[in-house]
Amino acid sequence: MNDFSEIEDKLRKLRPVPPSADLMTRVERGLAEARHGESLHSGKGSTRLRERPVRLGPTARQASTAGVLPRERRIHFNWLPLGLGLAAAAALVLFARFQLERPVKKTPALAAITPAPAFSSPSSTAQFVPAGLTQVVYHTRDEGLHFRNNSKQPMRRVRSHTRETLRWRNPTTGASLRISYPSEEVSLTPVSGQ
Amino acid sequence: MENVATDENWKTCFSQVAPGLVLFARQWARSSADAEDIVQEAFVRFWRKQHDIANRGLLYAAVRSIALDFLRRDNRRARRESTAASETDQTVQPMFEIEDESQRALVAALDLLPNEQREVLVMKIWNDLTFAEIASALEISQNTAASRYRYALANLKKNLPPI
Repeated sequence: MNDFSEIEDKLRKLRPVPPSADLMTRVERGLAEARHGESLHSGKGSTRLRERPVRLGPTARQASTAGVLPRERRIHFNWLPLGLGLAAAAALVLFARFQLERPVKKTPALAAITPAPAFSSPSSTAQFVPAGLTQVVYHTRDEGLHFRNNSKQPMRRVRSHTRETLRWRNPTTGASLRISYPSEEVSLTPVSGQ
Repeated sequence: MENVATDENWKTCFSQVAPGLVLFARQWARSSADAEDIVQEAFVRFWRKQHDIANRGLLYAAVRSIALDFLRRDNRRARRESTAASETDQTVQPMFEIEDESQRALVAALDLLPNEQREVLVMKIWNDLTFAEIASALEISQNTAASRYRYALANLKKNLPPI
């Protein structure tokens, strides 16, 4: 270490430039603000800070009221969690909207889908507009040839089991009403012999 | 020294440490105004946490931490940080009151030091920190702090022109 004593002496003779007087004022303001914040936000008992507040000299008091403001404090936002939260909220809203507006799944139509019946709804559903009628034939059975009473012409009898679904929709509220019931239908088709 | 938080005459306390703190902060700041900003923030933060001013290692660690944050806030400063990491950085200049040419040469030689050596030198020479305090501030071992100091002096000696 003795080898460096000379250069250490030279270094010690170098004097750093003293900080500006403004720094003292700014620190004073910062400490005053911090003290004020502590007294405002701390709910606990008094600390030594508040018991022995820093006394400011006359020049410091002048300086603190001379409009010399501390540098603007920077507010740090952690944008990542905020962005993730917003993205999640947006996705949730979109998903909910999609779920609400998704059309009702239609069962495979084995028969025809007829247009909506033109009848007026009962008074309780006065605002509901017929939206459609669906007939789904899910079973058909050919019962062969039959002769009706006093008839010489044979007729083919076909029995089919269907499910009919009637739908109404309220255009103002978007609510829908659906009634579904099973039905059985027997059709007779004349058969001409050759 | 008493606790900063309970020191009635904090100005005395601050005036003792401020020049060294500003010089220390100046290693990461381009201007003295930036360095003073860093010191102000560090000192107020230190005061708010009611640390003991005798724990100077902690105070310098606070200055260093805020200085590095300060450096990262700005992209230009971030780029500067990457160059500062290199050992040939010439942009950071400590501020000294230069009286003659030999001191000018000494300051020029200081600028050539690697950051890790210069910060130890600044803490040791102009802030009178012990190696234990330096080690605490920089989160290194005392041996590392001492060896960086010796390397810094050796480099200075090597870089100084012969008188």
